[in-house]
Amino acid sequence: MLSAIIGVSTIIIFSVFSEAQLEPKMFVTHSGQVIPTSGDVLDPLYAASTVEFDPMEYLREFNYGRVSQLPDGTTLREFTIIAEDDKIQEISPGVFYNVWTFNGTVPGPTIRATEGDLVRVNFINNGSRSHTMHFHGTHPAEMDGVFEPVGPGGGQFTYEFIAGPVGVHPYHCHVMPLEEHIVHGLYGVYIVDPKEGRPAADEMVMVLNGLDTDFDTENNFYAANTIPFYYQHHPIQINTNELIRIYVVNMVEFDPINNLHLHGNLYNYYPTGTDMVPSFYTDMITLSQTERGIMEFKYEYPGKYLFHAHKVEFSEKGWIGIFLVQENLDQKSQTEIEYGS
Amino acid sequence: MDLSNKPSKAKLIASGAIPFVFVIILIAYIFGPGSDLLDLGVPLPKITMEKIEFIDSEIHVTVRNTGPIPVVIAMADVNDRIQSAAIEPDKFLERFETALVRIPFSWNVAEPYTIGLTVDDGTRFEKEIEAAAPALEPSLELVGFFAIIGTYVGIIPVMIGLLWLPFIKKISKNKYHFFLAITVGLLLFLAIDSVEEALDVSKENLAGSFNGVLLVATVIVLSFLGLYYSGEKLVKKAESSRITKPLAVALMIAIGIGLHNFGEGLAIGAAVGLGSIAFSTFLIVGFALHNTTEGIAIASPLSRDKSSFLGKAMIGKLAVLGLIAGAPAIFGAWVGGFVYSPFTSVVFLSIGAGAIFQVIIIIFKWIREEDDKNLSSAAVVSGISVGMLIMYLTSILV
Repeated sequence: MLSAIIGVSTIIIFSVFSEAQLEPKMFVTHSGQVIPTSGDVLDPLYAASTVEFDPMEYLREFNYGRVSQLPDGTTLREFTIIAEDDKIQEISPGVFYNVWTFNGTVPGPTIRATEGDLVRVNFINNGSRSHTMHFHGTHPAEMDGVFEPVGPGGGQFTYEFIAGPVGVHPYHCHVMPLEEHIVHGLYGVYIVDPKEGRPAADEMVMVLNGLDTDFDTENNFYAANTIPFYYQHHPIQINTNELIRIYVVNMVEFDPINNLHLHGNLYNYYPTGTDMVPSFYTDMITLSQTERGIMEFKYEYPGKYLFHAHKVEFSEKGWIGIFLVQENLDQKSQTEIEYGS
Repeated sequence: MDLSNKPSKAKLIASGAIPFVFVIILIAYIFGPGSDLLDLGVPLPKITMEKIEFIDSEIHVTVRNTGPIPVVIAMADVNDRIQSAAIEPDKFLERFETALVRIPFSWNVAEPYTIGLTVDDGTRFEKEIEAAAPALEPSLELVGFFAIIGTYVGIIPVMIGLLWLPFIKKISKNKYHFFLAITVGLLLFLAIDSVEEALDVSKENLAGSFNGVLLVATVIVLSFLGLYYSGEKLVKKAESSRITKPLAVALMIAIGIGLHNFGEGLAIGAAVGLGSIAFSTFLIVGFALHNTTEGIAIASPLSRDKSSFLGKAMIGKLAVLGLIAGAPAIFGAWVGGFVYSPFTSVVFLSIGAGAIFQVIIIIFKWIREEDDKNLSSAAVVSGISVGMLIMYLTSILV
């Protein structure tokens, strides 16, 4: 009996990995080598079907709210935002993290209005802690989402303010401990368009964020739009000579700065998007916490172009992507292009 | 108790087995289905990187699940930069299960690397390598290299130490006891040294779930008892055979030192294999000086062997004893260099320590028998002190 127990436990303790007789799999390293293995591949490569949050969908999704006219002619835009803090999401293949979300995603929905619109946000907190929504921009003090914590388990608050100033702004929860609420994912983008509008463009939103999955106040992952390496394995398709406009917001915590470098091109940069005249023509901007702006550029030549943090640590931990520039809109191919293949 | 009576024998077995039955019921109750008695707190994943090898253009990490729950390995990184990698046979690790993580990476010789592995809940574990060195492939050249190191460190110094034999033979009983006591001091130092080394290895490379300190203690005691028992048998046998008692004692000492030198060779081989030390001639000189003293330990009891006086037979015996004590360093270097595992290292270092404690007891008995049941003479006390000091001073060189 005892010897049986010892025998079994010895087998468990000293079980050496056996030569698995499985089909050899192949994987491509980031430097392009092709390696066969009999085991599992550990690679932050996402197949679209397994993504709980789809960065490609988020990229070009703008929420204009339920629109109605007030008697005085003002446009009213109503939004419903629900906060939750119990969701476990696979944020990189095989890595599960407790995300705190506005409307179920990190980042939360992109809220878009035109300068002078009345924005009304019906906020419901279905989380287990107090949460708020704090918008950057101009608004009355009681709409600031700082001193009016919204209680857990269905607490409600209505934020109401006139959209402004023109530009791109973040919104985020402002409950203490603030860092904890932000790094878990309670943030999103709020865009205020000028009344006269901006020139037509292929518009996208990029939230530069990080994830500290082991709570050591250092980010384990960085990304544009949450999922590390996503746009590297799933290049963003754009067209030559078409104006591209990116609303970029830096929400990285712990690291003092982030940056964005574009390959094979330079862009006009409008800090905070508050001015109609670009401040820089550059291929590199540096962003501190919640610093943001609008990038505009056109590609002349087709092909694959990287965009990434030139703080290489960040890019090697996921904040990297590819623009696949195509010659002609009509011949837009839907074939999957794998980086390094 | 009458054991010949069958029913009472059955009763005896039953009375011995009943507590076991209750233990099993208790375990079944605690771990059984529907029991949430132990659902206190949150079990945290834990993995241990036991071995990191640098092979061609890959880094190989042997990882073991040393936590209380199964884990899934999700990601590998080098210097905190995510790398694509493979894990064989698979990424699911039950408790105590091991797997090999292969990270394609063009590493540079002698540079430090930190290897990180992230598990499914996002916890990242890391291990630092001071200097990357190509993993040792068992080649004839390398086998020879380790043999030479083992010879320098083990055999030659012990043989040199044995050359003190004629000197020790000619001195008075009191001075002789002084030399025996020096031996005790030397051995005591070596034993403590082995224990320290074993604890170091277990702390640095062995998962907490192996209970490093208790593993060392258990193996030391078992090794001590095993050798103590067989040593007594050998000495008793010596009285009735052609092996003399001093030779039997010398043999026991040689075996004990041999086991210790195996551990020492293991440490050297592992250090070369893991690339954690650059082998300098200075280091080898230090080890050699240090180990010369081990020869004295064997020579001391032998000097009272009255059967022959430095005849050819005696030289043969000396050579054999020297080999028994010294040659294991070579085997140790091979094992340490080619098939290193922290677990076996700790076990062998502990066996060595237990063996030496046993030798110390044998020498004490030997002195007591010779010295009118007295261990507190000036010769003995000063001898042990001098022995310890010699070892300490030569150890600074290593």
